[in-house]
Amino acid sequence: MTGCVAPREPPKDAALPGGTVAVEPPPAAKRKQTAAVKPEVRQEQPPVSGSAGQGRTATEAPAARTEAPVPATEAPTHKATEATPKTEAPAARTDAPAPKIVSPPVKTAARAPAAPPPAAKVTRIESAAPAPVKPPALDLAALEKRLKETSAIGVFTKLTLKNQVDDLLNRFRAYYGGRAKTTLAELRQPYDLLILKVLALLQDGDPSLARAVANSREAMWGILADPAKFKAL
Amino acid sequence: MNKRVKRWAPIVALTAFLAGPSPAADTLAKDLTSTIALLGLPCGQVVSAKRLGENDYLATCSNKMRYRVFVNAQGRVVAQRQ
Repeated sequence: MTGCVAPREPPKDAALPGGTVAVEPPPAAKRKQTAAVKPEVRQEQPPVSGSAGQGRTATEAPAARTEAPVPATEAPTHKATEATPKTEAPAARTDAPAPKIVSPPVKTAARAPAAPPPAAKVTRIESAAPAPVKPPALDLAALEKRLKETSAIGVFTKLTLKNQVDDLLNRFRAYYGGRAKTTLAELRQPYDLLILKVLALLQDGDPSLARAVANSREAMWGILADPAKFKAL
Repeated sequence: MNKRVKRWAPIVALTAFLAGPSPAADTLAKDLTSTIALLGLPCGQVVSAKRLGENDYLATCSNKMRYRVFVNAQGRVVAQRQ
């Protein structure tokens, strides 16, 4: 209701600086144009809001209305600019006579609920995409067996990798035993490096095993990072 | 007969030379290459390997460096620069 009363005052003030009143079409046509003409009105508006003295009363009224017109601009432009609509709203008031202005807010109020749904749909789609990615169940024994049997890595290399895995496990034992001053975050780096080495060795000769190792990377780290699970190893 | 041998000898030698290493030698070279790389030593690629004993090889790298790669008494793979 406040939004309906306020518009009547501004037109008097706005008619002077804007000078756009003469251009306005007849009442019936103007209702249709208000939404479309808004982009042009943006430029006219700043002077109106910046007008001295009476501007206080005029600006107060727009503030209340700005909420309603926002959706109107979003609907045609498809959420193009959320900030601009606020400025557009007062412009429409200044240009249009009191009776005309009353109607646009009503329209926008009706459109308002229609605009939000697209945004909600977008968020749903984005959230739905990552959901299917699930970490596969970790089978350490099977993975170890496959690594031992693969022909993609030579004997010397396998032995070297095993030595490095043992070294890393010793570092974890020292960490959990309180003998090492390292942190879990610091142990993550050599772990990642070792995994990368294994992946580099497997990716050409045994891609499926490389994928299996890559997929169980976080699960293996979960075991290493959990003292209880690590002890059970 | 003697002439035939003289004719074919260079061809056979050239073919053997250009044929490159055997698959087994190639696999060993790759294994030693990745081993030396895993140990963080400069090598490039192993171009030749000479067997010194069981699990004991002398690897020559593309950067002219030579490493003795072997398994020590503790079961660790070691690459010693020669």
